[in-house]
Amino acid sequence: MGNILIVAEITNTGAIREASYELVSIARKLADASGRDIKSVVIGSGVGDLAAEFASKGGGDTLMADDAALSDYNVDGFSRAISAAREAADADLVLISNTPAGWDVAPRVAAGLDAAYISDCFNIELEDGNLVFYRRVFNGKLDAQLSAEGVVVVTVQPGATEAYEGSSDGGTSALAVGLDGLRTKFVAVEQAEATGVDLSKADVIVAGGRGLGSPEKFEEVMKPLAEVLGGAMGASRPVVDAGWLEHAYQVGSSGQVVSPKLYIAAGISGAIQHLVGMKASNFIVAINKDPDAPIFEVADVGVVGDLFEILPPLTAALTEAKG
Amino acid sequence: MKVMVCLKQVPHQDARLDVAADGSWIQEDNIKFEINSYDTYALEEALRAKDAGEAEVVVVSIGPDRVTQALRTALGMGADRAVHVKDPEADASDSLGKAKILAAIAKQEEPDVIYCGLMADDGNFSAIPPMLAELAGMPSATGVISSEASDTSITVRRELEGGCREVVELPRPCLLAIQTGANQVRYASLKGIMQAKKKPVDVKTAADLGVGEQVGAGAAKVKINKIYIPPKSDQAELLEGSTDEIVTQLVGKIRELGVL
Repeated sequence: MGNILIVAEITNTGAIREASYELVSIARKLADASGRDIKSVVIGSGVGDLAAEFASKGGGDTLMADDAALSDYNVDGFSRAISAAREAADADLVLISNTPAGWDVAPRVAAGLDAAYISDCFNIELEDGNLVFYRRVFNGKLDAQLSAEGVVVVTVQPGATEAYEGSSDGGTSALAVGLDGLRTKFVAVEQAEATGVDLSKADVIVAGGRGLGSPEKFEEVMKPLAEVLGGAMGASRPVVDAGWLEHAYQVGSSGQVVSPKLYIAAGISGAIQHLVGMKASNFIVAINKDPDAPIFEVADVGVVGDLFEILPPLTAALTEAKG
Repeated sequence: MKVMVCLKQVPHQDARLDVAADGSWIQEDNIKFEINSYDTYALEEALRAKDAGEAEVVVVSIGPDRVTQALRTALGMGADRAVHVKDPEADASDSLGKAKILAAIAKQEEPDVIYCGLMADDGNFSAIPPMLAELAGMPSATGVISSEASDTSITVRRELEGGCREVVELPRPCLLAIQTGANQVRYASLKGIMQAKKKPVDVKTAADLGVGEQVGAGAAKVKINKIYIPPKSDQAELLEGSTDEIVTQLVGKIRELGVL
């Protein structure tokens, strides 16, 4: 049996990402139960302090892939660094956060090792001595339990578990990574464009999904409800992908993360990436035809039914209630 | 120039999902299938490359007979020819096995660019595109929402979190895994559908591609033990009754929040 390698991720602002400490929580649980050691790797340029911090806060012995060519994320360079770290750590379980960098690099690492790859796990357990992996399938409608043979590269859903808050007495050491001939070239990170739509300040958000069926229905059904509540309109990803509303209205991990007093989700099934953006709302009302829609898992109040039958009379009743 | 597009046919977004008797996947009989939503955007990117110059577009899919329909749709939208890997062993492979099959096709076809969808709407693995790129010896970028080609390279924007984007330059040949919303996907025209009937669909097995030994259930390193309906822990309070009764209850809840 091998060890566990944690791949820590550095944020744009130069800190260890919270999700990396969530990997530590999972690694600690599995290491204690299976007798594996935990090793970590921090990849970047001038990462000595961050590596020392990670080594002392649960990461254990931490390798530093430290090179100017790794100062920004680059799939070729990072995949070589992770492969070198896996070998140096003698790891048969590699934990990476399922972030835009994580999902970009992790499958390449697995394929390079001719190894198993399991993405976006919300939990990993040791059952009868074997690792079992839990993840969602069908955009959150079903869950799956999986197992793997040999070396396994795993990405873990950020936020699925608590961040580790304990300490460890790991040391740091340099990791040599061959970085000649990198093909992919980092050019820039562009910040989100400023728009007039700031959902983060709205007390009420009335959000619609694919169930609305057309942009006209947004105008007809969602807008009057938002107006009577003095709130803002929001949308799930498929609505924005289809061009019904601008990206500025998108709620979710790739759009805005919101926490209004009231969030009404109509015709939104509740893909994980949407839930991440709104589950911190104070009170959530969900209206959906499908009783198994994942949105009902995060909602306080749900209506299983046709939003077109519920929302217009609701708007009328609220208008009347306001007087 | 030649571009290759990997397509997966998946259960329709509104299809009823019942767990199959053996528990390891869904019951696929008598449900509707469609091209994976992410892959439609990948196909559109490829067709735009064709529109912009002299590119041949080859669409590739792994799956049973029903996949023919997805390939015909793609041909109807403007792809030039199709490769259909029809082989139960290929279907039984894990992501790595399927990536090996696609890499064997890439080796034969030698495309300048491979377009894939970022993930599939059924398994949500987002595994195959980078695996295929690694095995085919190409650089890759995932979550691509725009791309600009020059003579030897492609500059792409990758979607990050919170509306941020990362700009990356890749030399060709390369693989791009496209995010949904990257473009407006075209429909197949009637003329396109008629022409598609004459376009070639090459049917192959994993053995034909020289990777028969490396794929299939036996070679799979990842196994789905079971799928199941997620346990309902914090289910919402469901409102019942007539529309009027439901509306009255909702107004009461909203009034309590003090947002009226």
